Amino acid sequence: MAIAPPQDPVNATLVKKTTAAAGKNPQERTASPSPAIQESAAVIIIGAGFAGLGMAIRLKQAGIRDIIILERSDRGVGGTWRDNTYPGAACDIPSNLYSFSFAPNPNWSSSFSRSGEILDYIYHLVEKFDLGGYLRLQENVTGIAYDEAAGHWSATTDHQGEARQYQGRTVVMAQGPLSNASFPAIPGIDRFQGHKIHSANWDHDYDFTGKRVGVIGTGASGVQIIPELVKQAARVRVFQRTPGWVVPRLDFAKPDWQQTLFRKLPVSQKALRQLLYVAHESMALAVIWNSPLTRLAERLSRAHLRRQVKDRWLRRQLTPDFTIGCKRVLVSNDYYPALQQDNCKLITWPIDCISPEGIRTAEGIEHQFDCLVFATGFEVGHSGTPFPITGRQGRQLNEEWKSGASAYKSINVSGYPNLFLTFGPNSGPGHNSALVYIEAQLDYAVQGIRTILDGKLKGLDVKPRVQREHNKAMQQRLSKTNWNSGCQSWYLTEDGFNATMYPGFASQYARQMAQLDPADYQVLK
Amino acid sequence: MAAIDLDTMLAKIKSSQWALADIDWDAPGAEEIHPDQWVKLKAFMSDLMWIEHVGARGFAAMAKKAPDDTLKEIYTYFHAEEQRHANAEMALMKRWGMLEGDELPEPNINLRLTIEWLDRYSDDMPLEVLGSVIPMLEIALDGALLKFLLDEVSDPVCHQVFEKINADEARHLGVDFHVMEMLGQGRFHQLAVKTIGTVANPKLILGVLAYAPLLNRMRDNIVAMGLKEERLYEAMNKYKRIGGRTAEGRRNPWFQIISRHGEYVVDRSHFYHKPVDALVKLSNFIPARLLGPVPTWVKELTWKPTA
Ligand SMILES: Cc1cc2nc3c(=O)[nH]c(=O)nc-3n(C[C@H](O)[C@H](O)[C@H](O)COP(=O)(O)OP(=O)(O)OC[C@H]3O[C@@H](n4cnc5c(N)ncnc54)[C@H](O)[C@@H]3O)c2cc1C
Ligand SMILES: [Fe+2]
Ligand SMILES: [Fe+2]
Repeated sequence: MAIAPPQDPVNATLVKKTTAAAGKNPQERTASPSPAIQESAAVIIIGAGFAGLGMAIRLKQAGIRDIIILERSDRGVGGTWRDNTYPGAACDIPSNLYSFSFAPNPNWSSSFSRSGEILDYIYHLVEKFDLGGYLRLQENVTGIAYDEAAGHWSATTDHQGEARQYQGRTVVMAQGPLSNASFPAIPGIDRFQGHKIHSANWDHDYDFTGKRVGVIGTGASGVQIIPELVKQAARVRVFQRTPGWVVPRLDFAKPDWQQTLFRKLPVSQKALRQLLYVAHESMALAVIWNSPLTRLAERLSRAHLRRQVKDRWLRRQLTPDFTIGCKRVLVSNDYYPALQQDNCKLITWPIDCISPEGIRTAEGIEHQFDCLVFATGFEVGHSGTPFPITGRQGRQLNEEWKSGASAYKSINVSGYPNLFLTFGPNSGPGHNSALVYIEAQLDYAVQGIRTILDGKLKGLDVKPRVQREHNKAMQQRLSKTNWNSGCQSWYLTEDGFNATMYPGFASQYARQMAQLDPADYQVLK
Repeated sequence: MAAIDLDTMLAKIKSSQWALADIDWDAPGAEEIHPDQWVKLKAFMSDLMWIEHVGARGFAAMAKKAPDDTLKEIYTYFHAEEQRHANAEMALMKRWGMLEGDELPEPNINLRLTIEWLDRYSDDMPLEVLGSVIPMLEIALDGALLKFLLDEVSDPVCHQVFEKINADEARHLGVDFHVMEMLGQGRFHQLAVKTIGTVANPKLILGVLAYAPLLNRMRDNIVAMGLKEERLYEAMNKYKRIGGRTAEGRRNPWFQIISRHGEYVVDRSHFYHKPVDALVKLSNFIPARLLGPVPTWVKELTWKPTA
């Protein structure tokens, strides 16, 4: 692995001024005294996935080097692509677009990359931009709190069971929109006596040969795993609750000349990126709003189904009954064929419970397995925060977000100065590369952090009225989108409030994020 | 009966699931089936299990038409529960030595035609039609067939199984009649009236042509087994009584049509039977191979508690 977990920051040069402010932890939720301050920095970044590492790169390029990255994992950087190593794991977005524009990689081997290749690209970023020294691994952030008098944030962490504290003038939340694997709430799940594997925590030592395998979940990960499992296992049963829209993937190995061309003439790679970008932007017309293109996309997907599945009943089971784009569109050429292999079967009966030996479905049959694979996705916080976030005057962000999260331009929240969110409320891409959105957020955060550090401000806090008006317009625009068209998805809260997606083109989002207007903010001196 | 709360009903359904594995299929009692009973019972069970299965497919079609997510999920469960009934009834047949190997009981030609129709057209039927026909079948099943069976058969495992099935059916009937009333209200009522105008819809006519002889054949089979015709009258009356207990229920034109039809079916002297019995005879001449292979949903039936 390229990035070895660094040692504890015993290295004296890494240990910044350890101030005496340790006793003044404003987060007085726990009675125990807060631990001594481990380190402090101008910027604390939480999470070492694309967002966290990209943030460090952009800050460095802007001349800001006093950075700490807190990452909970003991397996190094990479986030999504470190965790999702299940067989078949790959990106749905062409590699050229699923990379940072400020760090193109001419070496992609195919137009859609497998997770291992993306992880290599991430390692390459760490090396190229020399980020290793910023990393603090096995630091699981358990809460952050703003000290208004001192004008800094403190982050408490759990380091292998030991409580620690870090201090930063500013904090960037880059803990990932999809980083906490979730198991479904099926009764009896703990009683199962066979092996259990979650897609985001794959057990590479388990040998599927000759095994009876049940797969729960037919979303983005499920459709990638299933074709691989069918090749290995004796028997695969796929449990589906609702079928999604599947569109064909145009996958092709990249010709060698293309890699050579990209290396020799980087402009050509940029041009391709532009082309892909525009192509994905146009998909917004199909998936975000209900337009003639939506019908066209649905027709394309239906044709794909008809071509690959001849049996009428199976086709019926696989036909979605919601508008395309309402949930994430699935991209696959081998999912439908895999389901029709002799050793595979799709099961659409509702699951009643998990028994010690398998899964009981409502048609009264117990389907028995050696191994259950959960491709059931992630906990997504529509309304909560990943850990307690305490703002000015002790306000609690998860309290304020109870009925649905909201922020200003997805990145700042009034009452929580100097805090920058990546993938904050209403920044989710439905049709384009997540990295396009991340880049826009990073550059906005750099502007904010610059303003704070250069002006020696205690706080830069978005005005409540500005945030309110922004969100009023946002929810109005969302009400006209496919996501809010009546299907249940992880995009929506239980009450149907959309705190996840950005209702527009990526380029509109980039425009929204291009300029930080100081007039939108209150300065705390 | 007041209108039911569908969310509460859904929660009740989810907490009342059972599996074939809950039953000891080898428990003593199978020997209580008398040899002279055996042949007729085999025919009866076979019809019964096919009606459950046909009903299952009907609920699958309704799930696609349900006006809201709760009802959709309820119908998704009912689809599975009717399949469970068919599976459990097959397991009883297996217990009584009525099934060879992994074979399904042979469906009669009228069942085959109905299955074919369901496969091709049921998803295109409006909720008003299915939502009014299915309660009729359910009530006939619940009120007449099952009670009759329990009178005739003393095998304790059979009683244990039908106790579970009956508990499911009570919930089905609750929802069925709730929806029938819903269909007599406002928006749905207008829709129902409109679809009456489409009685001449060829898909629907084909459906009637499959369904009417099926009912007649079943009635004959059942009566041949010794079921008193009064039992069927009682069931029809129950449909009329519960379906028509409110003004909304009575306003549903499909309820009117189907309860009228029910009266014809049980009244053997009615002119209705002349053409329909002719159809039954006629259908005897349809070679099964003309229909091609059964749809794959039929192949999901199984008497094996584990897979
Ligand atoms: C299977 C899968 C397929 C995907 N495919 C695509 C795709 O095709 N196209 C696309 O655009 N997007 C895709 N995504 C979305 C993907 O998540 C984003 O593209 C991107 O990787 C997010 O990067 P991130 O840095 O924001 O989050 P992550 O990559 O999740 O990184 C977050 C990091 O923060 C760490 N962390 C979390 N909580 C804490 C804490 N409390 N303390 C310390 N550290 C913490 C995590 O360990 C992790 O390393 C996919 C996601 C998954 C799961
Ligand atoms: Fe039933
Ligand atoms: Fe029923």
